[in-house]
Amino acid sequence: MTGAPSDPTPSALEPEGVAADYFDGRTARAHPVRVHVADRALVIADADGVRQRVPLAALQWPERTRHGARLMHLPDGASLHCRDSLAWDTWSADHAGRRDSVVVRVQQRWKWVMASTLVLLVLVFLGYRHLLPLAARGVVAMIPDSADQAIGETALQSIDENGLMKPTTLSYAQQQSVRDAFARAVARLPAADVPPYELQFRQSAIGPNAFALPGGTIVLTDELYKAVDGDGDILVGVLGHELGHLRHRHGMRMLVQAGVLGAAAGAIYGDFSTLFSQIPVLLGQASYSRAFEHEADVDAVRLMRADGVSPAVMARFFVKVRKAVASAQSASAPRLPHLPIALASHPADEERIRFFEDAARGQ
Amino acid sequence: METNTPSWASDTVPSVMEPRERSLEIRFTGSGSEYFRIWIVNLLLSIVTLSLYRPWAKVRRLRYFYANTLVDGHAFDFHGNPWKMLRGYLLVGAMLVCYSVAGQFSATAAMVAILILAVLWPALLRASMQFRLANTSWRGLRFRFNGTLGGAYRGMLPLFVPALAMAAMRFELVDPQHPTMAYIKHIYAVMGLTLLVAPLMWWMFKRYQHDHYALGQWQTRLDIGPGSAYGLALRIFGVSLLSGVVVVVIVAIVGAVAGGVGMLSGLGANKVLFFIVIMVLVLLGYMLALLVPVPYAMASGQNLVWNHTRCDEVSFKSSLRFESMFKLTVKNWALMLLTLGLYYPFAAVSFYRLRVEAIAPQLSGNLDLLQAQGAGVGDASGDAAGDLFGIDIGL
Repeated sequence: MTGAPSDPTPSALEPEGVAADYFDGRTARAHPVRVHVADRALVIADADGVRQRVPLAALQWPERTRHGARLMHLPDGASLHCRDSLAWDTWSADHAGRRDSVVVRVQQRWKWVMASTLVLLVLVFLGYRHLLPLAARGVVAMIPDSADQAIGETALQSIDENGLMKPTTLSYAQQQSVRDAFARAVARLPAADVPPYELQFRQSAIGPNAFALPGGTIVLTDELYKAVDGDGDILVGVLGHELGHLRHRHGMRMLVQAGVLGAAAGAIYGDFSTLFSQIPVLLGQASYSRAFEHEADVDAVRLMRADGVSPAVMARFFVKVRKAVASAQSASAPRLPHLPIALASHPADEERIRFFEDAARGQ
Repeated sequence: METNTPSWASDTVPSVMEPRERSLEIRFTGSGSEYFRIWIVNLLLSIVTLSLYRPWAKVRRLRYFYANTLVDGHAFDFHGNPWKMLRGYLLVGAMLVCYSVAGQFSATAAMVAILILAVLWPALLRASMQFRLANTSWRGLRFRFNGTLGGAYRGMLPLFVPALAMAAMRFELVDPQHPTMAYIKHIYAVMGLTLLVAPLMWWMFKRYQHDHYALGQWQTRLDIGPGSAYGLALRIFGVSLLSGVVVVVIVAIVGAVAGGVGMLSGLGANKVLFFIVIMVLVLLGYMLALLVPVPYAMASGQNLVWNHTRCDEVSFKSSLRFESMFKLTVKNWALMLLTLGLYYPFAAVSFYRLRVEAIAPQLSGNLDLLQAQGAGVGDASGDAAGDLFGIDIGL
């Protein structure tokens, strides 16, 4: 602090002062003033002399930006407005000993902004690849199984209600043979690795498919049963895959991840457009489901090995399902599969077939 | 504290007589590149602190936009306290978590959560507007929002009519697997009713807002009836319908051509690629369909509301042109897509500049005679609610 604190009369040549408008907070009238620092206080003066002194400690300084006015709140509700931000910044740095906060310094330097952008991208990538699945696993571990059941029941009910599924047309004997084959295979796994499950059959409007709902319901469609001609070995593999989804609680993890992804995307882009903020969720889910499918395939192989079935039969499964879908599509209008657990879109069939064949060779 | 009370007594008589009526210029001096720097640092800190930093980020963002919005040469100022805002943010965050969790468990729990939210919503919205305005100042004077709690509920009444009808209909549904023809008809009736009351809803909400903005002894009012809202809705509906038809035709042609090319080159066999192409086409079609109606609705909505907002000494002229809004929308959306969202701060600044500079307040009184009327300070949780649900008041 330089200047002449002992001199109370402000002169027109005030060296360290800066021009501003003073508002008293009671009227909208602007008072042109000059401000300078003396005796650890901000001195506000106009043509008639010193009007007010405010101790520096009581001041809230405006942050430095390249554009925009400087507005300073004074403790009594009054404020100072300075439109010449360059003059204000020079003065506050040189004479008021004002230092920018770390955040402001980062914001004002492209070098640091670029570094922040890079860190941000890395964080988003790491969070998306590792942190989010880990966090979802942790959250799901805290959710009681009763929640899974409630969600699964709601989901099954809505699937039944909206006409996607109809009661099965398979005979009791056909159903029983699948149940028996699966139960026999499952009995050979360590009991701790078998989650509670309930097998259900449905005739479906979405073609050959099987899926697991949170809480333990596995739904097998008549169309899938027919596509593989009721082949018990293949069905054990398919159901083992679904059992894997149940054991890892993939459904719940998917829900938690979708929720977090949606919230994160909404927080970043939500005020621009809700449509935009849903794109990352869509893309994110696709890649997570690939990882889940693979995990479930690993479980399927384990079950098949325990049952003494070669995982190679799953290669037959993909061929048969593809054929069934192709003939169904040529018969009626093509339909995009809903809940495509065993179909196209993710880990390309070839990749999964290779996985099962490798598993068969490694046996 | 050795603050000397100033003696401005001699200044209370305005020294300069202002002309009878003049147009105040609104200028926005901020830049996209500077907001980008603020935004990216805000974003980084928010992520690192698991979003606890958001109130500070918001204060910084608002201060930047306000300090760069000059009305007649004087900037706006934001006084919100981030610590107070954090409290509100946590409260609303907890409510939202409960709400989304309830929705996953059962339909009844979701209904209860929606009901609670619906009952609290008008109060939160009012609190949000009170907080925002009470913490915004111009020429040293704080704004106020004078809407009453009862007014907030009355203003949002039309929203409850279709919602209640929908809720009541659940009892009508005896067997969910076989909805009766009457039930389906009722669903269509409620949907039609919702569409019919939507303009009324918008008008009542805008009136609730624009009837209660205050600065000093000024208090604004909105001079339009529901008829204007219905006129606007009809025009937006017409524009949307037209652009929807055009986009469907374009997408069909592009799809057919792409499908043909795919067949010939054998690429059609790749299901993953096929699926991606379909998704991209649907998304582009959706954005294309919104490309005309969104800027049209924004421009005509803003002009309608602000051209009819006035108080005793101020009226507003809003001349936001559709052409400029449309051009900017095309540019901003395209760049947002190309940069995976990194263009967002530039888009936000340019939209804000265009919209705010299109408004010109017409002043017939004397600014120097404007006096504070004693301020009420709203609750920050309302502000957080407004923020999270995406409802933010325009300037």
